Amino acid sequence: MSAFLQPGFWVFVLALAGIYGIFALGLQIQYGVGGIMNFGHVGMMAVSGYTIAVLVIKYQWSFWWAALLGVTLAALLGALLGLTTLRLSGDYFAIASIAFAEITRYWILNTDSVTGGTQGTLAIPNPLGFGGYTDQPDRILYWISDRLYPVLGDEASRDMSMIFIVWPFLFLFIWLSSRLQQTSWARVLRATREDDDVARSLGKNVFRFRLQALVIGAVFGGIAGVFWALQFALLAPEDFLRIVTFYGWMILILAGATRVKGLLVAAIFFGFLYGATRFLEFWPLSLLSSPERAYLRVFLIGLVIVLLMIKRPQGLFGKREEMVLE
Amino acid sequence: MTKQPFTEKFASHMTSSDSKLLDIKDISVSFGGIKPVQNVSFSIKENTFTSVIGPNGAGKTTLFNLISGMNKTTSGEIIFRGEPIQAIHAHKIAQKGLIRTFQGAKIIRRLTVVENLMMAVQGNPGDNLIGFLKPKARKNFEKLARDEALRRLDQVGLSKFADEYAGILSGGQRKLLDLSRALMANPKLLLLDEPFAGVNPTLVEKLLTVLAELRKDQYLTFLLIEHDLETVMNISDRVIVMADGKIIADGLPNSIYENELVVDAYLGSRRKES
Repeated sequence: MSAFLQPGFWVFVLALAGIYGIFALGLQIQYGVGGIMNFGHVGMMAVSGYTIAVLVIKYQWSFWWAALLGVTLAALLGALLGLTTLRLSGDYFAIASIAFAEITRYWILNTDSVTGGTQGTLAIPNPLGFGGYTDQPDRILYWISDRLYPVLGDEASRDMSMIFIVWPFLFLFIWLSSRLQQTSWARVLRATREDDDVARSLGKNVFRFRLQALVIGAVFGGIAGVFWALQFALLAPEDFLRIVTFYGWMILILAGATRVKGLLVAAIFFGFLYGATRFLEFWPLSLLSSPERAYLRVFLIGLVIVLLMIKRPQGLFGKREEMVLE
Repeated sequence: MTKQPFTEKFASHMTSSDSKLLDIKDISVSFGGIKPVQNVSFSIKENTFTSVIGPNGAGKTTLFNLISGMNKTTSGEIIFRGEPIQAIHAHKIAQKGLIRTFQGAKIIRRLTVVENLMMAVQGNPGDNLIGFLKPKARKNFEKLARDEALRRLDQVGLSKFADEYAGILSGGQRKLLDLSRALMANPKLLLLDEPFAGVNPTLVEKLLTVLAELRKDQYLTFLLIEHDLETVMNISDRVIVMADGKIIADGLPNSIYENELVVDAYLGSRRKES
């Protein structure tokens, strides 16, 4: 259990929580405000992450321009997904969105010449003979850890520097998002969540509102992809499995889908669950092998969602009356 | 505010000269083999009160869905303020001032009562994402919208629920909210789908008074669906009777009682019941 007391563990948890917090923020706008069930959110993260890796490694782009293009592409793909499938009603859209994310992942998996295929970004063909893409931002990360070293000593790790980059962005995005959710734009979107026809009959272009929510969510998914790419400095197709989307959903459900600020706590809780499983080495769990223990996180997260649905369907911070009004 | 296209300016000129606000020309719709509305034609003049009555399945609500653009016609033409609207999106029709309500008062339960009204306002700069960058314009508009909403709630006696979730309202209160919300959308023509169904007689009286006042004070035009002819006898200038997707009678409320077709298709069956 002493592992939980090590600062390094919590630093990892916080760095991960920051990235997943931004990721879940996209879902929060889509589902919490607009009622759009996007089960393919991971696709946006994959697109922006891989755009960076490919452009930097293969074409020697600057990381920053590649990141900008990555997020833009995620937004465009969000728009494309919306334009083609958003007219489907709730459940059908959810299925189409899973298909979208899977198509993205399979494309990455099978286009070796561009993406490195199963071997990940290390195998992206490049003229310089190495597969890293984080040189430029790493300079900033090391600059931060140099500043932290006198205070924190050996704890001034790369993960620690990541926290100093990701969390300010998370706070900024949560602030922006909660401002956005106080506008009449969000009010109309909330109305469409319950009843399309009412909004249409009052002169609101429901499709436009939904599409905008989907694209804004996709932008947050794309930005999460940038930080993800930076955090792990190596991408592989299995980083973007369907389960990642549901990690985001777990954070959202835990926070209460309509409560944007609850995401902060929920993301840390998720980061803890996610990171903690690798330290579950005591008996009887020590009977399991390390990869088997890694699967415990999926089990634990599933358990948390089920318990929440039973005990607190509105999430930790949601209002119960919003769930029971008929 | 949205720009007024030339056609619309022209249209408002047209409507003022011939005063036909809505002109329905031979519209039909078929869903597979079923034809809920067949060859229906009529027109509505400004500042009039017309009721559509008919037995269940007569096609009244489908007619409303066609006029408001929720369903599209298979054939025929619908002219509103001089402009054909049968092929345009429902929200654009609403923006032109043709506002409808739904059977059974569709309120947004998880918005507050006042928010239900505020979402209906047209031309809100905050409805647009670009409006996010203009916080001042947005806030000023919101304040005006809220004041207007509170005034409307006061009219129908709902102001004490302004900041409660609309989901807590009773059936009758929901009807009042639904009507007030439609009025917030700045209608020229108001289509009300059974606003009195399931409402107690005292409240019906109150609603009728509100409608009569609106007609007088705001120069509104009404088209209303109702099951019960007697409820709308006094308020209607004209009654259209539908049965099996067709108009079978159209005239002054009193003349409807004397129409044989109506007696057969609708009132007759009711007399037999009683």
